[in-house]
Amino acid sequence: MAAMEVGNDVQEQCVELLNEAALLTDDVKKVANLKKVQELIIHQDPALLDNFLDEVVAFQSDTNAEVRRAVLGFIEEACRKDHEMVPKVVANLSLLLQDSFSVAVVKRTIQAIGNIYKITLQWLSQARSVTDLMDSAWSMLGQMKRQIISYVDHDNDGVRTMAVKFMEMVVLLQTYSEPGSLKRQEFCLDGVPMTLKIARPRKLEEEARTVFAEMIKFHGSPHISSVNLMACMGSLTLIARCRPSFIGQVISALESLHANLPPTLSKSQVNSVRKHMKMQLLNLLKHPASYDSHRNICTLLTDLGASQSEVARAMPPVEELRKRQR
Amino acid sequence: RRPRDVITVQLSRVVQSRALRAHPVHGKKSFTVQSFGTGDKVKLPGSAPNKPNIYDFGTTYEHIYRDLQEKDRSLYTQNGLLHMLDRNRRIKPGPQRLQECSDKFDVVISCEERVYDQILEMFESREPVDNTPVHVINIDIQDNHEEATIGAFLICDLCTQLEDSQDLEDDIDELLQEFESKAKRQVLHCVQFY
Repeated sequence: MAAMEVGNDVQEQCVELLNEAALLTDDVKKVANLKKVQELIIHQDPALLDNFLDEVVAFQSDTNAEVRRAVLGFIEEACRKDHEMVPKVVANLSLLLQDSFSVAVVKRTIQAIGNIYKITLQWLSQARSVTDLMDSAWSMLGQMKRQIISYVDHDNDGVRTMAVKFMEMVVLLQTYSEPGSLKRQEFCLDGVPMTLKIARPRKLEEEARTVFAEMIKFHGSPHISSVNLMACMGSLTLIARCRPSFIGQVISALESLHANLPPTLSKSQVNSVRKHMKMQLLNLLKHPASYDSHRNICTLLTDLGASQSEVARAMPPVEELRKRQR
Repeated sequence: RRPRDVITVQLSRVVQSRALRAHPVHGKKSFTVQSFGTGDKVKLPGSAPNKPNIYDFGTTYEHIYRDLQEKDRSLYTQNGLLHMLDRNRRIKPGPQRLQECSDKFDVVISCEERVYDQILEMFESREPVDNTPVHVINIDIQDNHEEATIGAFLICDLCTQLEDSQDLEDDIDELLQEFESKAKRQVLHCVQFY
């Protein structure tokens, strides 16, 4: 009985907040109301998710970009809480990804789709059977994925950054963990059964390799902005640390970048990029799986002005290296 | 448009915070600001260069103020430390450590290259959770009263421009280049992710 009362109370509060939000002209208050509804439903009474999903998602047509971004936050949390919500929101995500009025909304949508894509693959992998709804949601997410990957050539620099982070997610999700990988709790190809017809592990892995190749290409493009260069460099290094089989390719990408920095960078941007590269290389050096590339890494580090002691500090303990050699 | 969350970060070595100095100026504008240290302890100048006053993060400005007042009132009045602590205690309870803060920011500004490095290391050692971008910017500001005042205006000026930008990610490269040539200082800049 007590639980019922709490439930009703939360429901009433949500109705009130949403009704108020619909009439509000102050966008800041409107966003605050939506966030309150999100808090109440997701954290206090997730059973209400089904009742209120449509009502909240309806705010995606609001004229204010911040309101639309708040809706995206709700969608993301809803899918995280209850996988069954994914098929109900994919069409909305697809619309928000096309938002022609605000790049901020497009960027936030890419971020949300990245998380929902990952959640959905996990859901498909763990489900007893794949329903038609799941199948069509996955295929729509596939379309959006291809679109986002193509955004690496978008006009807007920030959208390109988000596309790079999305690609990083695809590569890490759609490859197997390896011995010596950076330990991560994240779901990856290890958890996808061979029998999953609509997402064959072999195909997913193949796609991850293609996406990785595109990231390498983007990293080496001559007119890349310094922000994107650093974002991409960070993504490639993270991939190398999580999937050591990529280390060789990542180091050669860094070598060719070092030899050939984009001519469009200003003097201080060059400083920032070199500093960033140094940090990435020190991180790679710390990783025992980079042993075979130590010479290349150390040469690059010396060229970038790293001191002997900095290099020595990042070197993994000798025992770990010996273990590796055996 | 959402107001941007900006933080300024500085060394714990001197609470005579170049970052906090920027506070009152920021406060009048529309962006929200917080300031942090990145070191292990809060260190303040003492009676000699090798005798700094060291406090744990979590100690209040009030406590530090009283402690220094007791230790040597005239020395710490003369070097401006008490004045500064008095101002700081009216802004917030005590020094905060960036590494312990769970808030997300759009922009993090440091005033010294060594701090910039510490901030990058902090982000690099974490695993990104939701890939929300954060811009880390360093403007070198020397650790003295005069520079801190100039620095406060420079940071404020930069923040105003970042705040006014309709699309920060797309504009930031250009804004920073303009800032550099106007302020005649080099900045370091990089993007990290939460």
